[in-house]
Amino acid sequence: MRAAGKRFAGGRSHGDSRVDQFIEQIITGLSIGSILLLVAMGLSIIYGSMGIINLAHGEFVMLGAYTAWLLQSHFGLGLLASLVPIFIVVAAVGWIIERYVLSLLNNRPLDTILATWGVGIMLQQSVRLMVGSELRYVQMPPSLSDSTDVLGFSVSSYRVFLFFVAIALFAVTWLLMNRTTVGMKLRAIMQDRSVAASFGINAKRVYALTFAYGAGLAGLAGALVSPLKSVSPDMGTGYVVDAFMVVVLGGVQSLAGTVASAFFLGELSGAIAFLQNDTVAKAIVLLAIVVLIRFRPEGLFATRVRT
Amino acid sequence: MTSKTSPHNGIPQLSAQIAPLLLVCALVFALPLILNNDFLLNKIARYLVLGILTVSLALSWGYGGILNLGQAMSFGIGSYAMAMALKLKTIPVHTGSGGLPDFMVWNNVAQLPWFWMPFKSLGFALVAGVLAPALVAAALGWFVFRSRVTGVYVSIITLATMVVLNLVIIDQQSYTGGFNGITDLAQLELFGVAFDAYGRATYYLVAGCVMLSLLVAFAFTHTKAGLVVQAIRDHESRVRYFGYDVAAYQIFVFALSAAIAGLAGMLYTIVMEFASPTFLGVQISLSVVVWCAVGGRQSLVGAFLGAVLVAGMQGALSESAAFLETWTLVMGALFVLVVLFLPKGLAGLAQGVWRAIAQRRQATQEVAGTVGQTREGSA
Amino acid sequence: MTRHLHLRDISVSFNGFKALDGLNMSVGKGELRCLIGPNGAGKTTALDIICGKVKPSAGSVSFDGVTLEDMEEHQIARVGVGRKFQVPSVFRDLTVAENLEVARARRPGVWANLRWDARRAGREDIERLAQLVGLAEQLEQSAAHLSHGQTQWLEIGMLVAQDAELILMDEPTAGMTAHETRKTAELFVRLKGRHTLVVVEHDMGFVKAIGDVISVMHLGQLLAEGTAAEVEAHPDVRRAYLGSGGITNA
Repeated sequence: MRAAGKRFAGGRSHGDSRVDQFIEQIITGLSIGSILLLVAMGLSIIYGSMGIINLAHGEFVMLGAYTAWLLQSHFGLGLLASLVPIFIVVAAVGWIIERYVLSLLNNRPLDTILATWGVGIMLQQSVRLMVGSELRYVQMPPSLSDSTDVLGFSVSSYRVFLFFVAIALFAVTWLLMNRTTVGMKLRAIMQDRSVAASFGINAKRVYALTFAYGAGLAGLAGALVSPLKSVSPDMGTGYVVDAFMVVVLGGVQSLAGTVASAFFLGELSGAIAFLQNDTVAKAIVLLAIVVLIRFRPEGLFATRVRT
Repeated sequence: MTSKTSPHNGIPQLSAQIAPLLLVCALVFALPLILNNDFLLNKIARYLVLGILTVSLALSWGYGGILNLGQAMSFGIGSYAMAMALKLKTIPVHTGSGGLPDFMVWNNVAQLPWFWMPFKSLGFALVAGVLAPALVAAALGWFVFRSRVTGVYVSIITLATMVVLNLVIIDQQSYTGGFNGITDLAQLELFGVAFDAYGRATYYLVAGCVMLSLLVAFAFTHTKAGLVVQAIRDHESRVRYFGYDVAAYQIFVFALSAAIAGLAGMLYTIVMEFASPTFLGVQISLSVVVWCAVGGRQSLVGAFLGAVLVAGMQGALSESAAFLETWTLVMGALFVLVVLFLPKGLAGLAQGVWRAIAQRRQATQEVAGTVGQTREGSA
Repeated sequence: MTRHLHLRDISVSFNGFKALDGLNMSVGKGELRCLIGPNGAGKTTALDIICGKVKPSAGSVSFDGVTLEDMEEHQIARVGVGRKFQVPSVFRDLTVAENLEVARARRPGVWANLRWDARRAGREDIERLAQLVGLAEQLEQSAAHLSHGQTQWLEIGMLVAQDAELILMDEPTAGMTAHETRKTAELFVRLKGRHTLVVVEHDMGFVKAIGDVISVMHLGQLLAEGTAAEVEAHPDVRRAYLGSGGITNA
């Protein structure tokens, strides 16, 4: 969970009993979890509804971060004002990729992994060639750069903000999936593409929109975490691994599972990093994934479905 | 994959299929005759070794349908087996008391760890370099395939397992040389021949192993077991209803592939003169996938040439940093295009062209009225 | 005739839907049994249970005195059970000859099949089989290039190649022309006696042409059993098919 960041800005303002330490740990975990949720949501939607493991997901996150940097440093736009344009830009990139690459790969799931990986390399390399590989920094919105009191602990306002943004985006996504026509069509296609097509649903268009939306979410995630760490062309690699673990753990086709597993992993990585060194923590998490896939490929938080 | 076949000869004519393979081997062996540059030969030997590694992936991915994203794990194990043996051969020069490798001395290790002991025997190391990866793969394969894990999940598990081993090697610096790997090795000596990385002997050793691995892989794909493995790739569950134990076949091809990758790893240590954790890194693993896809995953010769050519080009261009950056972009694009439009890689393209030519020739022959083709009896 | 295949009180449900609900059925050695019933009656599921694709939640299956329900698919196949699927399932990237070769699985172990001569032994067999299913000209063609009817034939040929004692066929004539269907019927009649066959079929003409005994399933249970005339006259059967235009239009 390297990219999720385990250092938690903030400090204890009173008392240092075990309970306090525990609560602080919980808050750290919630903060990591909300970042994980932000990053994983786009991947979860694309994987769950289209069956595509999008290895370019990390690069969408990276593109979002770079767009934030570009808008801020060249156009003087603040982070909050940039969010909508960032979403549109990265979603457009996603739409183009779905339209011209992935839609050509129907029924070849292993090949979509390879293709998205190749696309990821191209995106990463393009950014490197255009703006160089030096680290870039994005300013936090000034209104959120102080700290807030949470249960007697002083917590960075920006992290509290991220927590609520993550929850809000989840709610929006859930509504889109379950309460709109496009979402209903998407779920119909997930059930049976040919039957859906016979009812006049344009699967190609819905897929392109879904992929674009997932990409846009990844872009937002990249923009939102950019003030917390530096921006670089290869920053996406860590995120795609984190996001993927969240999705696998949460169970495919389960948005609620994604939320549960994001916060579960957030708390877990907070705890592991607290107890162990970094290498051991990484190895343990990877081994846990291996064992999980072996014994519960449908994820921890999903109910078993017969295929 | 089928070349011209005479209707009564059982197996598609073996000779027609093995010809390109033997041709490539002949070229590899002939190269030193025209190229009198030891430095360049060493570089080429390196690409040939990567070619062997790619052949091993073609076996498990192209034929078995198992996309192993951790193929470099077997490569790395082979490489370390060779490096450990060669390190222990350097006792008088680079080691501390009791034949302890230098990095152990620096890390205050007092005694040679137990798992280093058997590597005092070169014979053991040579066997272990092939057998250890095969056994590890068989164990992992048993863990994975017995529970019918398929597709991308296999890829994730292989990748994750490799990264864990990589982390452990880097972390356990005092026993493995850590991040720096195992360096300052002795030269391999076999039957009185010294294998200097820049010598002809090493080149021919590599060339011999290229031929050996291509032939072993070719032979396997042409046995009935090889056929069953391809059937599993096409339709895994269907094979079960004919009575085949699918997992057993998958484990076998997975282990065979790992053994060949282990052989490549041993050669890599000889050619590079060190072993490093990067040898079992994500970078090499993913590169192998690209080479294999570009060359043609369902063609052993194609995969081999794909690796040699692409890795060779990359090596030639890497002299300049700016070039390399652009090259990576071009590689990414090339890779996407191959995945989209040439799922069987350049080998598939070549086969298609070859078949078209053959058909046209046949058509003109028929028009000319020379239909009386000789039909061979079963050979 | 000795009872050969037994299904006893088989139940299985998917997501709460009871696909089989206490199914009892027996088939004798060398018999050709047709299995019919309205959609959703559980015919395919019954075949799935026998060949091990689906595990029953209750009940037991025995074949030739061997209990099958706890065995894995390949073990069941080794006991002598072969299965043809409703959607023709062949190996599309392999040639017709290679498909038939894979199906000839008398020695299914890895080590036995690593022998260089394991492939040559059955060549005459494969050519004879290809002749039998009318694919002699396509032997070296990849199975992906066959028509739907030819693919059906190939899979039937593969089952003959497998030489299983018990052959389970799921709608073998779907997508075939009338002529092809007739040829299939002839082939089945020839197989009967040497092999035991259980055939799920919708085409009543075909069923009448091949079947001695017909089993009718409805709602996951056995509804009636007998000759074509007997089951057609059976009141329960008439009731079950009511609304779907009678048994001939099932």
